[in-house]
Amino acid sequence: MLRMLKSCLILLALFISTILGAQGNPTISGYVRDAATGEELIGASISILNTSTGTIANAYGYYALSLTPGFYNVVYSYLGFGTIIKAVQLDQDVVFNVELSEESLELEEVTIEAERPNDNITNLETGSTRLPIQTIRKIPAFLGEVDIIKAIQLLPGVQVTSEGSSGFSVRGGGRDQNLILLDEATVYNASHLIGFFSVFNNDAIKDVKLYKGDIPASAGGRLASLLDVRMKEGNRKQFAASGGIGTIASRLTLEGPIVSDKVSFLLAARRTYADLFLKLSRDETINQNRLYFLDLNGKVNYIVNERNRLYFSTYYGRDVFANDFAGMYFGNRTFTLRWNHLFSQKLFSNFTLVNSHYFYDLGTPEGSSQYFNWMSMLDDYGVKGDFIWYPSPEHTFRFGAWATYHGIKPGEIEAEQGDITMTSVLPVNHSLDDGLYFSGESDLGEKFSLRYGLRYSMFHNVGESTVYAYDEDYQVTDSIHYQAGEFFNFYHGLEPRFAANYSFNDKQSIKASYARTRQYIQLASNSSAGTPLEIWFPSSPNVRPQISDQVSLGYFQNFLDNALEASVELYYKKMTHSIDFRDHAQLLLNPRLEGEIRVGEATSYGAEFYVKYEREGFTGWISYTLSRTIRDFPEINQGNPYPAPYDKPHDLALVLTYDISPRWIVAANWIYSSGIPYTLPSGRYEVAGNILPLYTGRNEYRLPDYHRLDLSITFKGKQKPGRRWNGEWNLSVYNAYARKNIWTLNFVQDAANPEETYAEMTYLFSIVPAITYNFKF
Amino acid sequence: MGSVSTYRIPALFLLASLLTASCTERIDIELDSTYRRLVVQGAVTSDSVRHRVFLTTTSDYFSNMPSPRVSGAQVELSFSNQRITLGENPFLPGLYETPVAFRGEVGTTYVLEISQVDVDADGQNEEYRAESTMPGGAELDDVALRYFSSPIVNGYQVLMWASHPVEQKDLFGFRIRKNGVLITDSLASYTVFSDDLFDSGYLPGFPVGFLSDDEPRERVFPGDTVTFELESIDQAYYDFVTDAQLEIIGNIPLFSGPAANIKSNISNGGAGIFAAYSILRASTVLEP
Repeated sequence: MLRMLKSCLILLALFISTILGAQGNPTISGYVRDAATGEELIGASISILNTSTGTIANAYGYYALSLTPGFYNVVYSYLGFGTIIKAVQLDQDVVFNVELSEESLELEEVTIEAERPNDNITNLETGSTRLPIQTIRKIPAFLGEVDIIKAIQLLPGVQVTSEGSSGFSVRGGGRDQNLILLDEATVYNASHLIGFFSVFNNDAIKDVKLYKGDIPASAGGRLASLLDVRMKEGNRKQFAASGGIGTIASRLTLEGPIVSDKVSFLLAARRTYADLFLKLSRDETINQNRLYFLDLNGKVNYIVNERNRLYFSTYYGRDVFANDFAGMYFGNRTFTLRWNHLFSQKLFSNFTLVNSHYFYDLGTPEGSSQYFNWMSMLDDYGVKGDFIWYPSPEHTFRFGAWATYHGIKPGEIEAEQGDITMTSVLPVNHSLDDGLYFSGESDLGEKFSLRYGLRYSMFHNVGESTVYAYDEDYQVTDSIHYQAGEFFNFYHGLEPRFAANYSFNDKQSIKASYARTRQYIQLASNSSAGTPLEIWFPSSPNVRPQISDQVSLGYFQNFLDNALEASVELYYKKMTHSIDFRDHAQLLLNPRLEGEIRVGEATSYGAEFYVKYEREGFTGWISYTLSRTIRDFPEINQGNPYPAPYDKPHDLALVLTYDISPRWIVAANWIYSSGIPYTLPSGRYEVAGNILPLYTGRNEYRLPDYHRLDLSITFKGKQKPGRRWNGEWNLSVYNAYARKNIWTLNFVQDAANPEETYAEMTYLFSIVPAITYNFKF
Repeated sequence: MGSVSTYRIPALFLLASLLTASCTERIDIELDSTYRRLVVQGAVTSDSVRHRVFLTTTSDYFSNMPSPRVSGAQVELSFSNQRITLGENPFLPGLYETPVAFRGEVGTTYVLEISQVDVDADGQNEEYRAESTMPGGAELDDVALRYFSSPIVNGYQVLMWASHPVEQKDLFGFRIRKNGVLITDSLASYTVFSDDLFDSGYLPGFPVGFLSDDEPRERVFPGDTVTFELESIDQAYYDFVTDAQLEIIGNIPLFSGPAANIKSNISNGGAGIFAAYSILRASTVLEP
């Protein structure tokens, strides 16, 4: 511990000396915004013309470049927006807030650089992708509902965990190894309707970025990935509305200034309405069903002054699936309050208060003769401080600290059956994770750049709690009770992050990275698709933190003035203290859940190929991943290694969108992957009239390969000068050639001839057409 | 009602309608073969009967034939310093019975040993062993029927009044007979219950089964006698039943973990179960 503190102090001293050394240079800083809405553009590129000097706007659209005094042409660019070059005589600190216009090039100050930016070559990121929401909207969507998670499933290294599911596996990781943040609040269950839709209403989303391994030091807590989703701030220029009426759901988003250029708001709502049609049925068992989900997003932003900004955002989602007999309700709720403060032009800070909540509730109506209620919930309360220091164009430093309380209520069940009332409450798991991080990005000459980071994470279990001791057969041998508020268990560790980029020229680069991540809370689930009824559980004296070490190496090359991006990335990931569960584990309402856990190692490795072309109304990419993920658990599968549930050696996605004209857009996806590993019987036996299976190994078979074609066509209404209303019709077809992809495979005992069994496949969808009308004004 | 699998049922019901768009169809699939294992079904109960052990073997999954029976085995039962050899029924090969009827005792450990069998056909005989200690301590006071009606299902709930020791972990099995005929006659219809979550010591009016009006075998009419059997079972039998029921339900990606072999207390790689359990009974007649 002392050694660690010493190291931190040395780093801090180095850091301060760097800060002091860079005080003298003037700084050009400001925000890069969308000219139409005033929304800040995350990741906009700011560079000095004809040099390699530059920076990227941060998650709040802020940038800062400290340069020696002189004359500069500063280039502002962003994918899909026109580029602006400003001529600057930099003798003292200046603030340039720049507005870029979508889809058009605007002359300003000097000249226009028409070439697309080559950020994918020059940045330090391996295994990360930013998907513009405009691109996501063009991709054919299931039932017409544009879905960002379905879109990221089309990227290399990302695999869908089950047909139609919003769950995803990144580089062989589990569903619970993805950190999903919505405006910095953790979304614990990003699925609606048992996974067919994600909780993200695309109308309310501004930016989506996926990190598949080289996760920034500022984030952690999950082994596999970070999906960073940012909500729109709300139009600062004028009141606007957008929405859509679809086959399954309708959406409406309102946004606009409350105080011009100072305060803006956004309100977005989405609701499905299958239950409204169910009421038309004469069948009582159908027309009494309530089946819907809804999402509400809200955000208010206040530009207090040039140095201070406040953001408040919230999300509320709920699924309802009920009738007069029984019901199930579940959903997320998040609150995020952020304060951006500029200590100086070179030191940007953000302070965040955050709350995440997830719950489910399943039962029968109170007062019914068969009353029961089963509920579970979890709450996070967090505080975080993040700082970005821009001492010079060559160096950017980030540092910060966080603390998050997790309260997990695994289950509470109450039942009334005639004369008896029974209640069982599983104790709440209290825990605290906290820590601090530091990272830096440095350009070492024209061609070589480095990112280095260190995250020190800590985890504490907090009472009141009862911890069980288990013997080698996982039978409880003893228990220890800890008082409320008592800190009784502590884990901590360093998580180094490192990345390097060597650019051969402005079209070719090679990158390498290493990242260690630690995960302290995980999902008690061993199913592939997942349900809302799953619970999270923390590390504890019996459950050590999961650790992942990942190295990756990538080669990136652009062609055709950066219109064609190509890359190949190799990765190798070793996961220790990995968690799986015993055969037929009982994961719900189990007071001794930790006795169901088995610990081992997992290894994932692969090659990701990605080719993307984007020019003149055409966007398309091919992603292909060749990979394996193998688990090795001494107490599972007789100690023999077995493929992970999402191990798909071949995974291919072909995505094409093309603007035939300003009013017609066509799009297509074709997806192919190896079948998932599956456990099938090699024999059978009979007990009490039932044919029972005999297995010889876990996941030793594979289901048939999966493939599917989706199509869509969008027809936009005529735009007329002065008319704000813009409407478009979207017709989509999911699974256009009606492939019967196996969702599950079961073996059925023939009712007529009980000695006979047969294999029966279940497939979820045949061809699924949908029509949606979208509008904005 | 108390077992978690029971609580999954409403969830499954609710989710099932989501899958109305889904379809099922038979497919041909090739499966590997494996060597044969011994399968044991045996029990010693607190009833005064000739206790039975039934020996069969595993077979290829799509063999679609009755399980091969194991004849000529040496089957012995030992308990309380006694050792009994079970004889093979001359009319039902593979069925081994105690020579005389006797009543199993709560708290007694029964050891089953099987030898002189070469199930895997490697030319060498194998030996198998299983043991089970008969649990007890519960008292069954009464049983009653109560009509339950809903838009989805109608029928009689079977309710029991029973007590059990709070200081010990209790595992129960529920069986129901209508006019002497066993209704819960398969693993799928046999209900097991653990007092892990609810350990109040007394279960007044606790639902232990349902007799649906829609099932001719289950539907009860005035004058019908319904008999409830409360079985105190051990952990191995409980695990065997819950594992088997998960396998019978099959794989539902929303809920199911990977398929896996059903736990067994038969040594040497055998399958099946040998259990000692005590039985309490109570009956009621449906009034006109």
